[in-house]
Amino acid sequence: MSVTDPNTAPQTLRDHPGMKDFFSTYEQRVETLNAGLMVTVGRLPSLDALVRRMTPEALAENNRLSMDNMRKAIVHGDWAPLLERQRSDGATYAAMGIPFREWFDLVAAFQSSLIPFLVADYGGKDAVRLGHALTAMNAYVNAAMNNIAEEYLKTKERIIAQQQHAIHELSTPVLKLRDRLLLVPLVGILDTQRARQMTEQLLSAIRDNRAKVVVIDITGVPAVDSKVANHLFQTAAAARLMGAQAVITGLSADVAQALVALGIDVGRLTTIGDLQGGLEEAQRMLGYRVVAVEA
Amino acid sequence: MNVHVPILKLGEVLIVTVQAALTDAQLIDLRTELADRVGRFRSKGVVLDVSLLDVLDSFASRTLSDIAKVARLRGARAIIVGIQPEAAFAMVQLGLTLEGIDTAVDLDEAMEILGSSQVRGRG
Repeated sequence: MSVTDPNTAPQTLRDHPGMKDFFSTYEQRVETLNAGLMVTVGRLPSLDALVRRMTPEALAENNRLSMDNMRKAIVHGDWAPLLERQRSDGATYAAMGIPFREWFDLVAAFQSSLIPFLVADYGGKDAVRLGHALTAMNAYVNAAMNNIAEEYLKTKERIIAQQQHAIHELSTPVLKLRDRLLLVPLVGILDTQRARQMTEQLLSAIRDNRAKVVVIDITGVPAVDSKVANHLFQTAAAARLMGAQAVITGLSADVAQALVALGIDVGRLTTIGDLQGGLEEAQRMLGYRVVAVEA
Repeated sequence: MNVHVPILKLGEVLIVTVQAALTDAQLIDLRTELADRVGRFRSKGVVLDVSLLDVLDSFASRTLSDIAKVARLRGARAIIVGIQPEAAFAMVQLGLTLEGIDTAVDLDEAMEILGSSQVRGRG
């Protein structure tokens, strides 16, 4: 049963024949149930730490608020605040690093302690009513877990995306070596996405620094095939369109032989064996002359 | 002729700042007008500033390089300045690399290049 969409999900919960019975039993025993749940929380390290950081007043306020939201939803049919709160709680707890497993343990404890009360209230009189109340409890709990789980996943995905972004940022720094001279030391595999990103960063840096020469050092690129060579051609061509000349350095003996064996014409690129040579050439192009200071 | 692009004359250099994306017809007008003015003013340099454009399509790229070639035939050195990173990247993807056309990062740089080539020319 999918119950996480605020527009459609509450229908199934709202129309549930046992929902009000479930809530009424829960509301009458909430003090007892919460006391029992605190014992369970004591066995769950992360949740326990979270609860310990809260003042008793804050905890009571928290419980009162979730009770209010539940009442609004089940009694008055306004599910939006409840779903909204479950989502924001889910996101907060995920960001705090509380393991999702602890929620399962807590919910299991909630269900097993509520069932005897439901049986006591409806069991003797009407088996159908008891059945409805029990399935209502399950539906309610499933919906809540669904919402929390979705937020957990979203939060984790966001963290992964941020880290990927950070890795990409780190992997292609554009360094300013001198006025109008930029250096891009490439390390690692140059795939299409990275090549594109490197090019974009380099082009922005050319504009921002008014660069005239850019040195792209590929000593740290393990394999250069026709695809990588093509990326380098494109980067050099784009840099030239912006008025900067690209110098590629760090083609190892293996890389040079591989490129020639593949029949790739590197004549279109300005290439220089090592970074030292490349920097000397770049400085010469900019009109610098580096001389040793007399001792 | 009604050209929507101002052509400024500064000494021996003509400066064209393209303010907005031009239609194909406007580009051709610009080419004709510049070809005329380079001869009329005996200009030694033409600077085409496209830094306000965030995209240059194939026709615009070709016309820019045509303008540069026409200017050269009329005795002026043309430099295209201020191609934006996004535009440069897109152009390269389309294979529009303006082979053989001078480029510079901005107007200052272009004036410097033109200035030094003039000095060399006289010396």
